[in-house]
Amino acid sequence: MADASFEFKLERMFADAPHAADTELFALQVLERLDRGWTARRFLIGAMGVLGGLIGAYELLSSGASGQLVAYVDHANDFLARHVAATVSDALAPSGIYVDAQAIWLAGALAIIAAGFGLARLVREI
Amino acid sequence: MANQRTLAGAHDLELVSLGRTGDRGAFGELVRRHGSAVRALLRRMGADGATADDCAQDAFLAGFEQIAEFRGEGAFRTWISRIAARLYARRWRREARAELLAGGADEQGAPAGVGADARIDLDDALKALSDPERICVTLCYGAGLSHAEAALALNAPLGTVKSHVKRGLDKLRSRLSPDGDGGQRRQVGG
Repeated sequence: MADASFEFKLERMFADAPHAADTELFALQVLERLDRGWTARRFLIGAMGVLGGLIGAYELLSSGASGQLVAYVDHANDFLARHVAATVSDALAPSGIYVDAQAIWLAGALAIIAAGFGLARLVREI
Repeated sequence: MANQRTLAGAHDLELVSLGRTGDRGAFGELVRRHGSAVRALLRRMGADGATADDCAQDAFLAGFEQIAEFRGEGAFRTWISRIAARLYARRWRREARAELLAGGADEQGAPAGVGADARIDLDDALKALSDPERICVTLCYGAGLSHAEAALALNAPLGTVKSHVKRGLDKLRSRLSPDGDGGQRRQVGG
């Protein structure tokens, strides 16, 4: 038997693999391991994020700049809230509805949460 | 999202495309289709059942991670088989069997297992090969690696791999030839 012919035959014999009866179980085991890996990875990323956030917060608080930052944020918050509330109240004045700053922030937060749910749903659908 | 029935009828390349987007169902279908072949290859390399399953799972997980690298030039089965074969070769090497490769000629095969009247197929014929011959032949003819790639996977000299392949092929040719059993002929002649 010529070498090339035998080698070709051998390759064909290797390619002709027996079909295992437990392919479904094997596939499930692989997917389970895949899921475990992803879960572990998500936990790790989450833990690293929390750790990073804590370190950042600690550094911020211990740097002494936090007081200035808080004052600046408060000021910006008040200004923005008053401005938005005044604008919305003006717009709603004919209807007699009064809108204060808290309501604006609450509505904004709810809108962000709703958008988050919508985005998550969209990603799942895609 | 594609359901199970749709996936079962899809071509490997379509499944790979879906797998690239993180579709586990599509990847699961690829595992279902090619799991048996990969496990059989590993058993032919000399792995026991549990090791073959474990190594095949590792190979599919690695394949999922590297699926973006699969360009579709060859068959998915060939690609995943190569990953599995390399993983098993690494494991085999770690398990202190590398000295078998370094030691050159090794005649620890099991020629006594194949009788003249027995049905001689590839799996039986492979049992007649020594461990290094078996793994070298299977890497080259089962996983489609070149001699150089097999040498790299086994961290062995190219010449050593070539000689193991040659000896292994000679034994297989003798076992698988239609005109009889080489082992029987050797016994008669010696």
